[in-house]
Amino acid sequence: MQFRRAQTLDEALDVLGELGKDARILAGGTDVVIQYLHGEIAPETLVHIEGIGDLATVSLNHRTTLGPLVTHRALATDEALGTAHPALAASARTVGGWQTQAVGTIGGNICNASPAADTAPPLLVADAHVTLASRRGKRRLALTDFFIDRRQTVMDPDEMLTAIDLDPLPAGAGEAYLKLGRRGAMEVALVGMAVRIGFAADGTVDSARIALCSVAPTPRRVPEAEEALIGSRLNASVLDAAGEALRAAACPIDDARASASYRMRTLRGLLERAAIQCREAVTL
Amino acid sequence: MTVNGVGVAFSVNGVAHRLEVGPGETLLHTLRERLRLTGTKEGCVEGECGACTVLVDDKPVDSCIFITAALEGRRVRTVEGLSGDGALGPLQQAFIDYGSTQCGFCTPGFLMTLTALLEENPSPSPSEVRQALDGNICRCTGYRQIIEAVASGIENGGRP
Ligand SMILES: Cc1cc2nc3c(=O)[nH]c(=O)nc-3n(C[C@H](O)[C@H](O)[C@H](O)COP(=O)(O)OP(=O)(O)OC[C@H]3O[C@@H](n4cnc5c(N)ncnc54)[C@H](O)[C@@H]3O)c2cc1C
Ligand code: FES
Ligand code: FES
Repeated sequence: MQFRRAQTLDEALDVLGELGKDARILAGGTDVVIQYLHGEIAPETLVHIEGIGDLATVSLNHRTTLGPLVTHRALATDEALGTAHPALAASARTVGGWQTQAVGTIGGNICNASPAADTAPPLLVADAHVTLASRRGKRRLALTDFFIDRRQTVMDPDEMLTAIDLDPLPAGAGEAYLKLGRRGAMEVALVGMAVRIGFAADGTVDSARIALCSVAPTPRRVPEAEEALIGSRLNASVLDAAGEALRAAACPIDDARASASYRMRTLRGLLERAAIQCREAVTL
Repeated sequence: MTVNGVGVAFSVNGVAHRLEVGPGETLLHTLRERLRLTGTKEGCVEGECGACTVLVDDKPVDSCIFITAALEGRRVRTVEGLSGDGALGPLQQAFIDYGSTQCGFCTPGFLMTLTALLEENPSPSPSEVRQALDGNICRCTGYRQIIEAVASGIENGGRP
């Protein structure tokens, strides 16, 4: 194995263009190093990108832009970012412990494409788009189209994630990220749910976005459940219908941490709790 | 498979080092096996337990999953750096006074995470202390004594 340090984006793209799938990007390394130590990956070259300062920036505007090297710790503690993206900040606070958050990056979380990636649901409800760059050029696509399968994305071997852009929380809307685990910290989500709901002046729901992780091979939005909420006041029958739509969109697995049927049975309750948090976050 | 050495320069507890390391070598390995700084402990080797916590540029990291070659120009601090001239640092002394250590295996990791916390926030609440310690596991003390040791320093109007 070789180790290459990229100081600039151009250097990184040159190495990726030259080596393609033999290269593996190393950001914070909290996924890569464990996979390497367990023998799950055997890259010929590690391309270390943490030194590319330009990729760690945050810009808050009508759309928020995050560099891929923004750490979970920054997402969890940056006040302005936390106000514009409360669910994203909440999700980052649930990633591992301080040690994981201090080095783990949002780009690594997305590119690793774990079914349980905690930052994915809050990004999905903020209509996040990703920019991928290579020596061949740049493309920008919706995060919903980025994930293909467990640990698989549309990224080509010579491409790199260079930016994530997303909608800040608009006025009159609230959002929440709920992560179900067996313990309060250092836990992989049994189910993760992000909800963003906008309310009209009379308190009815005028926009709704819901996204899940850990219940399918990829994190996903659930438009059918979103539609069930629109125009409602979040009464029980509406939540029942939306919960049913969530179950229809979920295909969780049984594993050592929880059964598929348990995960299914939590969806309605999580949605209700998240919806209440959204409602409580807005003053009409 | 050919393994190519990587040159890397960084400091540990204020001492500059220039080493040739393996590309996949972890900081835990470098500290314990090359630099013979064995205060940092190996527990799970997968980022779960925090026994291997050291500070890189003042932030706590799990050295068992941190690649040494990524340290170019960076500053590492380990538990060995907390004491000077044969005297324990105040946090170390508080751990003894409050019975915050039993087998001691987790202790260097706890001390390093708490060092980072107290540098960032000199008077954390008990819940802030507990949250900062999410990534450090102790199988002996039950955490209460550890949190009390930190609180002792705050009650004394400064660092433990
Ligand atoms: C103890 C522990 C607990 C954890 N808990 C959680 C948790 O609760 N929730 C959760 O979601 N995750 C968790 N993780 C996983 C991990 O911390 C996150 O996925 C993290 O965000 C990965 O970021 P990184 O910078 O460390 O990525 P790396 O490990 O450096 O990279 C991850 C993958 O992404 C690729 N990559 C990184 N950056 C780019 C880029 N800019 N462009 C293209 N490809 C790129 C890498 O090549 C690699 O395949 C945990 C990990 C550990 C060790
Ligand atoms: S040995 Fe590093 S976290 Fe357990
Ligand atoms: S003192 Fe034994 S594990 Fe903490």
